[in-house]
Amino acid sequence: MSAAIETHDLSKRYRRVSALTGCTVTVPEGRVCALIGPNGAGKTTLLRLLAGLAQPSGGSVAVLGGPPRQDPAFLADIGFLAQEIPLYRRFTAADHIQIGAHMNPRWDASLVRTRLTELRIPLDQRVGTLSGGQRAQVALALTLAKRPRLLLLDEPVAALDPLARRNFLATLTAAVADAEGSLTVVLSSHLVTDLERVCDHAILLAGSQVQLSGDIDTMLAEHKVLVGPRKDTGPIERAHTVVQAVTTPRQSTLLIRLGGPVIDPAYQAEDVTFEELVLAYMGAGEASASRHLTTVGEGS
Amino acid sequence: MTWVVWRQYRMAGAIALALLAALAAVIIVDGVQIAARWHSVLVTCAGSSACLEQQPTLVNGVVSDLPYLCLIVPAVLGMLWGAPLVAHELEARTSDFAWTQSVTRTRWLTAEAGWLLLAAAVCGGAVAALTTWWSGPINAMTGGAFAPGQFDTQGIVPIGYAVFAMALGIAAGTVFRRTLPAIAVVLGGFIGMRLVISNFLRPHYLPAVTTYYHLTSSFTPPGQAWVFAQGAVSSTGTTVAAGWGDLYPALQPACQRLLPSVAGQGKSDSLSAVFSCMQAHGWRGFATYQPAYRYWPFQGIETGIYVLLAAALVAATFVIIRRRDA
Repeated sequence: MSAAIETHDLSKRYRRVSALTGCTVTVPEGRVCALIGPNGAGKTTLLRLLAGLAQPSGGSVAVLGGPPRQDPAFLADIGFLAQEIPLYRRFTAADHIQIGAHMNPRWDASLVRTRLTELRIPLDQRVGTLSGGQRAQVALALTLAKRPRLLLLDEPVAALDPLARRNFLATLTAAVADAEGSLTVVLSSHLVTDLERVCDHAILLAGSQVQLSGDIDTMLAEHKVLVGPRKDTGPIERAHTVVQAVTTPRQSTLLIRLGGPVIDPAYQAEDVTFEELVLAYMGAGEASASRHLTTVGEGS
Repeated sequence: MTWVVWRQYRMAGAIALALLAALAAVIIVDGVQIAARWHSVLVTCAGSSACLEQQPTLVNGVVSDLPYLCLIVPAVLGMLWGAPLVAHELEARTSDFAWTQSVTRTRWLTAEAGWLLLAAAVCGGAVAALTTWWSGPINAMTGGAFAPGQFDTQGIVPIGYAVFAMALGIAAGTVFRRTLPAIAVVLGGFIGMRLVISNFLRPHYLPAVTTYYHLTSSFTPPGQAWVFAQGAVSSTGTTVAAGWGDLYPALQPACQRLLPSVAGQGKSDSLSAVFSCMQAHGWRGFATYQPAYRYWPFQGIETGIYVLLAAALVAATFVIIRRRDA
């Protein structure tokens, strides 16, 4: 399986502010990848670098086999939806469908019409007068109508109510299923539960650095929560990587990345949930921005 | 892409067309009346230039100022269409939509800027054509083809101005990424450039011609020439362009005595005596001017300057759009 996205030591600076540092990630083709991190972690920057809307300050980035570039064939393969849901507010959805038809070689106008009709979104009403959820649906349908091979979605559900969010993610899941493994999706959000439902791959960003990236199942298998008496954690730290340690006067709870089997019988090893894992790494990222990045095996 | 541009600007285009049609109606109605008045003046005066000078002006009313209104048409186009072209896409973030379709930014800009520059040229040309036709009788009567307000509103230069103002708006909007500062740049930049070029550059497009003549005869540059200076020059190179006060100290004593005692009240025979005296002492008459036949070369040169400036601005815009982050 080839990589849809491959970055190496990718960085982006805006004047003196570093938005992304030393980002090395791989996303295999056909995955739905969650891009998770607090506000300002560099999610938008990474997505814009992948879409070719921004130029890297350092490192390398390969998207669908080459660097993002101003080339009609490359642009045709990329579907990008920015957080602000950029549409021409005074144009109708029908206008946008026609614009798309004039600007894309393989344009599936009937796909947009069908999806919007199903969702009862009027095609002949100015986009600016639609609700936020409807607008997001229009924008997603237009992005899918390009028939892209890589879909980059920046916080698409952030402004939506729970019902609209469910509809949006259902549309997305259906599109991934229809594509039968030829569509790769990167979806940024800070709503972890939503993401876990639709994603099988994740990149955790904090403090403009990658904290963890890889297959979610592999991530979960490689981490454990150890609950045991409060005592010297030295032996644990030597055998494993402690991501987060919470101690009370009586017991310690350690979230570790396994370096081998846990042999200390004093600890009880529990499975970790995705949300626990994300929060632990976010906390770790906030605590030390200089933490070296960790990449979980790709499992492929 | 052409369809996309059409969809984006069809309303603006329709409004522009309606305004242009209204302007054309007013100018044509007024122009027909002016032409009729000019006809009757020609009949009345029958070739007498003294009679022509005594006729009242051909224009009257508010309509007479319309050609001057046309001076700001290019700036208005640059501010309303040029400045927002890139800036508003960035402000509304619709650039993220437009620039992630399967069309490169270069091609997008080629289509958008190309059609707008063409529209500017057409608008500038249409207004200029109307004004040129309307001004025909006025040009013939006043004879100042090079005069500011005539040279800049007629012929082909308004096309150059319109293309330049549009390019300036597009470039400024791309640099500042915001419409309002770009509009200010168009207004300031257009007026500034017009003032600098028409005042400091235009007189020197081609070296001026100087004609020397016998002081006792008279000389007028033929046709509607652009006269910079006319007067007398001595054998030592002293020039006197106008005014007896200037002339007196420059003259030889023999000629000074012939000057009328009170400035401006000389009889013509005493004046010709002065001129004869000056001629005898080596003075010659001179006139420095741009000949009338240079009207079209000057129009061409000025249009070329503005089109080149516009080309440079458009080229810079392409470089910025391609290289800078969206």
